Amino acid sequence: MEPTDSLQYQQFMERINRGDRIEAEDWMPDDYRQQLIRLISMHGISEIMGALPEKEWVPKAPTLFRKLAIMAKVQDEMGHGQLLIRVAEDLMAPLGKNREDLMEDLFTGRLKFHNVFHMATPTWADAGVIGWLVDGAAIITQGMSLSCSYGPYARALARIVEEEGFHIQHGESICMELAEGTPVQRQMLQESLERWWPALLMFFGPPEGNQLSTHQQKNLDYKIRSKTNEELRQKFLTKYVPRIRSLGLVIPDPTLSQDPVTKVWQYAQPDWTLFRQIVNNQGPRSQARLGLRQMSYQEGQWVRRVLAMTTPAAV
Amino acid sequence: MSDAISFDVYEVFVQLEPMSAHQHQFNVLASSPEMALELGYENFCRRTGAVSLWVVKRDAIHKWTQDNFSGKERLAKTYRTTEDYKYLKDKWRHYRENPMTQEGPRNGRTAD
Ligand SMILES: [Fe+2]
Ligand SMILES: [Fe+2]
Repeated sequence: MEPTDSLQYQQFMERINRGDRIEAEDWMPDDYRQQLIRLISMHGISEIMGALPEKEWVPKAPTLFRKLAIMAKVQDEMGHGQLLIRVAEDLMAPLGKNREDLMEDLFTGRLKFHNVFHMATPTWADAGVIGWLVDGAAIITQGMSLSCSYGPYARALARIVEEEGFHIQHGESICMELAEGTPVQRQMLQESLERWWPALLMFFGPPEGNQLSTHQQKNLDYKIRSKTNEELRQKFLTKYVPRIRSLGLVIPDPTLSQDPVTKVWQYAQPDWTLFRQIVNNQGPRSQARLGLRQMSYQEGQWVRRVLAMTTPAAV
Repeated sequence: MSDAISFDVYEVFVQLEPMSAHQHQFNVLASSPEMALELGYENFCRRTGAVSLWVVKRDAIHKWTQDNFSGKERLAKTYRTTEDYKYLKDKWRHYRENPMTQEGPRNGRTAD
């Protein structure tokens, strides 16, 4: 790592503090690059793994319209993965790595994907809740990251956030239909909310308390992110608790309350030990989804080989 | 694996309206220009449509960035914009109301 008193490092920090956007070929400290690779490869691979829980509902969607809409959302998520993996690859290029290394890291468990995408989706309501609340949670994090100091990531997110707006409405539309439906449909939605609630709280990561981890501190100093996990979770609660309640749904946390003066939410902590197990690929559907991803990666290998052979001779 | 697959990065540009410029969107990884066009269309035009789509191999782009511009923008060159010529509007209004004679302005020069 470069000494932090080097001229290059100081000039870099001046750029960061000025609010400059850093570009792929600009000089950057090694740990800035490492933090970005860590964050963006995890985000990118989560988009791709995130298409899998919903994909399970493509063949079983209740109407043709719903089937087409959920297929479009699944395609969007794969597209988000493609953009982000390109951003990660440009950062990894000086280290001689590319997307094949990312896939390898995913299969060996070195590269994690978001906790929410390890969960089961047993009912159609889960497809709705993912769009409404999981994408809703994601847009809160991604909205923050629009101000990320790394230009290519921020530009990718500008595109992604625009599409997330569609995803949320797609999810809201499914949930609204169930909420206005029969008692059985309402029950299905309520049960889905109960299933997803702890995972939604976990989505933002453990609360920091008074102590920021080294990673977190670096990300804030480098303006890779501007808010803590807990700040993001509080934003999510402020936005979604009233909406969830307005549909007559009961959030499975009797201790949930907002301080009328400070506006801070009190909530029952999810099981953070379970969170660590889940992101270490020991969640309910972790192995099944990794298996599917690995199988389709291996079965697609010959296609990539054939495509590579069509490369025109270098000019 | 020894036979690592290597594709190229293509930058993607989309023109949305006949009178608009091609705008840079993002980039894709592809084995050929044809594949880059397919991916570019799927990734960047599937909602908006397009009147034209360009893909350019990244290696073919020559560029200048911030460092190259330093020293080139020191002088305020207002004559390159209409900034310096704003006073003309007032002059035209003045002479519409008080046309010049063949000798020139009626009271010598106009007040600016
Ligand atoms: Fe997404
Ligand atoms: Fe999404």
